[in-house]
Amino acid sequence: MALAGPSCQGRPARLATRLMSEPIPSVTADGEAALLQRYANGDAAAARLLAQSLTPRLYGHAMRVLGDGAEAEDVTQEALLRLWRIAPDWRVGEAKVTTWLYRVVANLCTDRLRKRRSTGMDDIDEPADPAPGVEARMQNAARYDALQRALNDLPDRQRQAVVLRHIDGLTNPEIAEILNAGVEAVESLTARGKRALSLALQEQREALGYEDDG
Amino acid sequence: MKMMDNGKTKDTSAEARLDALFDQARATPPAVPVALMARVLADAAALQPAPHAMRTGWRGWFAALGGAPALSGLVSASCLGFWLGFAPPDTLPDVAGEVWGVNVYVEDDSMDGVELMAFGWDIEEG
Repeated sequence: MALAGPSCQGRPARLATRLMSEPIPSVTADGEAALLQRYANGDAAAARLLAQSLTPRLYGHAMRVLGDGAEAEDVTQEALLRLWRIAPDWRVGEAKVTTWLYRVVANLCTDRLRKRRSTGMDDIDEPADPAPGVEARMQNAARYDALQRALNDLPDRQRQAVVLRHIDGLTNPEIAEILNAGVEAVESLTARGKRALSLALQEQREALGYEDDG
Repeated sequence: MKMMDNGKTKDTSAEARLDALFDQARATPPAVPVALMARVLADAAALQPAPHAMRTGWRGWFAALGGAPALSGLVSASCLGFWLGFAPPDTLPDVAGEVWGVNVYVEDDSMDGVELMAFGWDIEEG
């Protein structure tokens, strides 16, 4: 379910279609802070560049942690909404934009996972499809689903740490800041998470088709 | 399988397979729905401050001066200037007095003939 908000018909929809067809711009941490400042000063192009650069990363992370496309969309939109709101008061040099955003997303995901457990909706039916075209490669899709199923079975903190480290490619100190934990705790979470994933995937080995790959 | 220092075995092939899955996950991130991108852009447009918004009234005057830091410097400089004009040090001419044509000399003779001892107090032993 999408969050209520301004209408996305018309210009934003056309712009979104155009942006989705363009390659994702590579923006450095300093560049993100500078773009946020430009956004706060009323530069519309800065908003487009930030949205183009940040939305895929946040959505991908939320998808992996929540295993649900609709919830991942809500979390991504909410996190970026908070960024737009805080932009005029953002202090350059105090925090990295992406680290701040990942932290917001992590907290929103934790809230949703807790809510799921309290309402007994912990079981996710099936992982959503990955990028269009991938589903045509059935074996890759099966492997994707297998990884997502194994991730879904991990405890929340382990799943978040593993996704941040091994899929989003963040460093342990960055993950520690995002999860509000020590670096040693993060190392322990990722190590235990990887062990649990290896075990879970071992059981699915045949389904993954590794016997054929050698 | 690989033998570890503690005598246990480690399934390196399982680790390699997991790493391959991570590589694949990084290479094929989930596609962002166009509707989500449209909502994000609509939010950004709705919340973006107007470019070069002009402030009016005392807020505009305050901002034009440079805000609180500039105003505090201005007040400090004004106070110092006023004090230097009102009570200049001995090495400086009394410009205010010359301008107003008033020179005030104060001669304090109340302590004449008193020998100051012990920080100005007479100590008498009784």
